[in-house]
Amino acid sequence: MTDIIIKNGFVIDPFNNIKGELMDIGISNGRIVDPSKVRESEAIVIDAGERLVVAGGIDIHSHIAGPKVNIGRLMRPEDHYLTNVPSKLPFRRAMTGRTVPNVFAIGYKYAMMGYTLVAEPACAPLKMRHAHDELNAIPIIDKMVFVLVDSNWLALDLMAENRKDLLKIYLAWLLYATKGYALKLVDPGSDVAWMMGRPSLDLDDQVPEYNLTPKDIIRLVGEANESLNLPHTIHVHCNRLGFPGNYITTLNTMKLGKDFALRDRNSIHITHVQFTGYGGESWATLESGGEVIASELNANPYVTLDLGQVTFGEATTMTADAPFEFILYHLTRWKWANADIENETASGIVPYRYRKKSYVNTIQWAIGLEVLLLSRDPWRTLITTDHPNAGVFTDYPKIFAWIMSKSYREKTLKEVNQRALRKCILPSINREITLYELIIITRAAPAKLLGLEDTKGHLGVGADADIAIYDINPRAIDPSSEYEKILKAFQRAWCVIKEGKIVVKEREIVQTIYGKTYSVNPYTAISDDIRKEFEAYLKDRFKRYYTVSLENFVIRDYEIRKLTEVRIKPRL
Amino acid sequence: MPLTLKLVTGRTIEQGRSMESGGKFSDIYRRAVAVAEMNPKDIEIIGIKDNVKITSVYGSIVVNVKPNNDIPPGTVFIPMGPWANLLTLPITEGTGMPTLKNIDVYVEATSEDATPLDAILRFFGVNKIHYKPAERPLSVGIKRVVYDVPCPFCGEVCDFLTIELDGEKTSRVLNACPIGHAKFMNYYRHRVLTPMIRQESNGDFMEVDLEYALDKAAEILANAKYPLIYGLSSTCVEVTELAVELAEITRGVVDNTTTLCHGPTVLAVQEVGSVRITLGMAMNLADTIVFWGCNPMNAHINHIRRIILPEGRFVKGRKERKIIVIDIRRTDTAKLADIFIQIEPGKDYELFTVLRMALRDYDIEVPSVAGVPREKIYELIEIMRTAKFGVIFFGMGLTQGGAKYKNLEEVIKLVQELNEWSKWALLPMRGHYNVTGSNHAMLWLTGYPYGVDFSRGFPKMIPGVTTTIDLLVNGDVDAALIIASDPVAHFPQKAVENLMRIPKIVVDPFWSLSASVADVLIPSAVTGVECEGTVYRLDDVPLRLKKFVEPPKGVLCDIDILSKLIDRVKKLKGLA
Ligand code: SF4
Ligand SMILES: [Zn+2]
Repeated sequence: MTDIIIKNGFVIDPFNNIKGELMDIGISNGRIVDPSKVRESEAIVIDAGERLVVAGGIDIHSHIAGPKVNIGRLMRPEDHYLTNVPSKLPFRRAMTGRTVPNVFAIGYKYAMMGYTLVAEPACAPLKMRHAHDELNAIPIIDKMVFVLVDSNWLALDLMAENRKDLLKIYLAWLLYATKGYALKLVDPGSDVAWMMGRPSLDLDDQVPEYNLTPKDIIRLVGEANESLNLPHTIHVHCNRLGFPGNYITTLNTMKLGKDFALRDRNSIHITHVQFTGYGGESWATLESGGEVIASELNANPYVTLDLGQVTFGEATTMTADAPFEFILYHLTRWKWANADIENETASGIVPYRYRKKSYVNTIQWAIGLEVLLLSRDPWRTLITTDHPNAGVFTDYPKIFAWIMSKSYREKTLKEVNQRALRKCILPSINREITLYELIIITRAAPAKLLGLEDTKGHLGVGADADIAIYDINPRAIDPSSEYEKILKAFQRAWCVIKEGKIVVKEREIVQTIYGKTYSVNPYTAISDDIRKEFEAYLKDRFKRYYTVSLENFVIRDYEIRKLTEVRIKPRL
Repeated sequence: MPLTLKLVTGRTIEQGRSMESGGKFSDIYRRAVAVAEMNPKDIEIIGIKDNVKITSVYGSIVVNVKPNNDIPPGTVFIPMGPWANLLTLPITEGTGMPTLKNIDVYVEATSEDATPLDAILRFFGVNKIHYKPAERPLSVGIKRVVYDVPCPFCGEVCDFLTIELDGEKTSRVLNACPIGHAKFMNYYRHRVLTPMIRQESNGDFMEVDLEYALDKAAEILANAKYPLIYGLSSTCVEVTELAVELAEITRGVVDNTTTLCHGPTVLAVQEVGSVRITLGMAMNLADTIVFWGCNPMNAHINHIRRIILPEGRFVKGRKERKIIVIDIRRTDTAKLADIFIQIEPGKDYELFTVLRMALRDYDIEVPSVAGVPREKIYELIEIMRTAKFGVIFFGMGLTQGGAKYKNLEEVIKLVQELNEWSKWALLPMRGHYNVTGSNHAMLWLTGYPYGVDFSRGFPKMIPGVTTTIDLLVNGDVDAALIIASDPVAHFPQKAVENLMRIPKIVVDPFWSLSASVADVLIPSAVTGVECEGTVYRLDDVPLRLKKFVEPPKGVLCDIDILSKLIDRVKKLKGLA
């Protein structure tokens, strides 16, 4: 692989405290090296021409792969009709789809925006092989997938029997067996209820058939997560999602993080908080809970969160929160897909359109922005659209412009539902996020939250050479007034390097390569005796519950195109 | 007295088993599929003594008759296969699905002999058939047992089989149904082991080496303006992924057998969504199970012992499950049922609609709908409404005739509405073991489940235009690559006729009718025995097929064949 040297760029790298300095970046063997180690005469020299040079973007929550996404594609042929980009062989395959794009559009469009690592945030254990099949097929970016555990009968049996140690080992095994990266909880316990035709649950409700509450589930999985020493925290989609008044449940969930924080760091990630940040008693009286959530975040160091920002326009909602999708189907009355997965979870899919003139949609839009603008810690407040639930990932530049420019916000404020704005404090917020903060939010913070700060999210020596160069001069631009430039520059990066290979040149994809899939393995380090005892237990339960055999459930390393297994030593 | 009856085609145990054990040129296969099952009353009225002559708008065959009380008067059943296909209608009415059920046929007694296979093929325009089956060499010696083997035959993909081997020879197969058993016991028979090319001079097959065959195949594909790549349901998803790439490179079209089985189901999901489960949900929770237009006792034989009979977590086995079968004939599955409802052929749509009305407490004003008395309909909807957890398994009885995808839209809506009252889900009983996976791979690569055209460099699917039967009937495609499938045995006559006019590359481990008429024939190894690969069960559960025997010398897996083909076509097209 030819070495590369990037010259003449303004670098922002928050991990290394670099705030827009003119400096060279050296790349050798896919990693960042000291530029003096690169022989210029033999290297590709990129003249960045005073553009912005940053690490590749990281998206910690975007539905890009697996059964839900694929059924979304199936259900929405209309999503592809007008979005086709023919192939340009041998450099680029054909792209299609907007809310549910094909694998090529996902990989290429993220890369074109300068993103190089994306996490698929939810898959049933039994379908993880499917998620990996799709991740294998997504070009360019690195990826990972979180495994759903909150309604898993095997896990709940152990919780109800109060066998905490065995629960930890089971979760360790599950991550290893499915090549997952993190533990995901979605409307904790509610899919147990859904599978039996019962309504969804609030934090203190009883889970049917189990002497447990969702609160117990969160605490127990949270504790397991911390003692397994997993790189990410538990990733929680709160109970009561999508119901007016649910911000109370969210606050109570955020408070749980303290109960199981065993490490000197945050312990719970609340995802797409917009959907669980509703005040009011009904859709008609919906209010923003953004301010309260932001102040809890500011006061509670155990919590991180991402927005699930509404960006207006077409969306395809898809979530393991099956009961919520059933309700949404009744509101939209068009298409609804549901899938229940034996012993594990369920999921639903409903197409949806966010309209600027809608009262509810305007409040939703405001909540996300309020949370971000009122949060004092860019390291704990990340940008997502929960793609494609609240908006599509290709709308990220819009969010960047909304938070960096009060005048862009004001432009949008004029277009949305005015009655709704009276229930929001967004119009009175003056804060504008700086470019430096934006780079924290989209690079450094997510790398840290995923425990990958050694190699991701920065440009220090030894990091993966995942780099984006944007057509912005950070010293010259005023994002507040020049929001058009922000919109344009972040939509299509000028140059993108992935693991030391140039993949985007002058805003176009120039080659198709395939990135890594990250998984964690806390299981192998557990002692043989403990594993033996556990496997005997597992064998019996598994046989009783499942229609597949245990051996065929386990995903082998070679089934994954480029597996990067993070081996960890649990603190049991 | 001759009669006009409704022709219905479908799978039978014998058709499946004889295909796996004897191959499609065998007498047992002919006996299994060249037969018309009729109600004894009709046989008597027509006055059939020996054979029967059956004529549709498209052709005419003579076959043996088998009296069967389970077939309602007015209907004639012929197992799927070349004989039936001579009569079926290639018209897809914009759905991509030909009409394979409820076809008007004229039935008369005859003393003529049954139509032999080569006469059928001649009718299709096949002049020369070559059939040179070989047995793959099997080393014997070390005895081994392989556990948890998934079965690569039907969509059920039972993954709890135990296979005992003596070297490469299967000595025992445990836990498989008779068809799965036949599959594993006979995997070495009726094999294609050497690549072959049809000589232009005399039309005979010539054995060639693999490199040469691949070059020839690549040339055909690279020179074609609009090639068709078809099959893919009886091999792993990795092969579908490669087939899509090949279609993208050649600007052709890639399609799988969905086009002929559950295409309408998939089209209905595009319109309204679906409510699905994995099989374990049914095992653990379902107290009410409906089989509608499907016959798992014949086609997915282990389904019953896997889902219905065992004790699940919340249902204590068969005695706590109510089984309802809705079909046009009293199938073997119907014989197991607590309730059997016989429906008039092609009237499923009407019954779904009236069930949806009954669910909303609308009055049914006519005494019967689709041959089902009003009281029975009320009774049925009451059972459904009060079920704890219900599942409808349905088959090609719904997809291949009558209202096609409208049927499916209606049953999906019924299930969606039933969820207001209780828990209901539905699942199609998919035939080929990986047809579901092939749909999935096409979806993630192109956004469409089958019938994907790349003529303009991007994927598009237009049912009734970019679907195989239409492409063939309209003479749109100018070359074909057929992978692990036998269109000559399963397509309506008109489609086969046009297929015979274009160059055909066939990749298959076994001799099929399509293999015997190929221009380039490339042997492949048997996926699930000699090659690994990922497949998706009918309920979307992905499983990894095992390799436990080395492929015969010089024979490659589908994945390698397609990869090599892609490399060559890329070179020829200047894209390498
Ligand atoms: S039911 Fe299907 S998958 Fe199972 S053994 Fe029989 S043929 Fe094989
Ligand atoms: Zn999500």
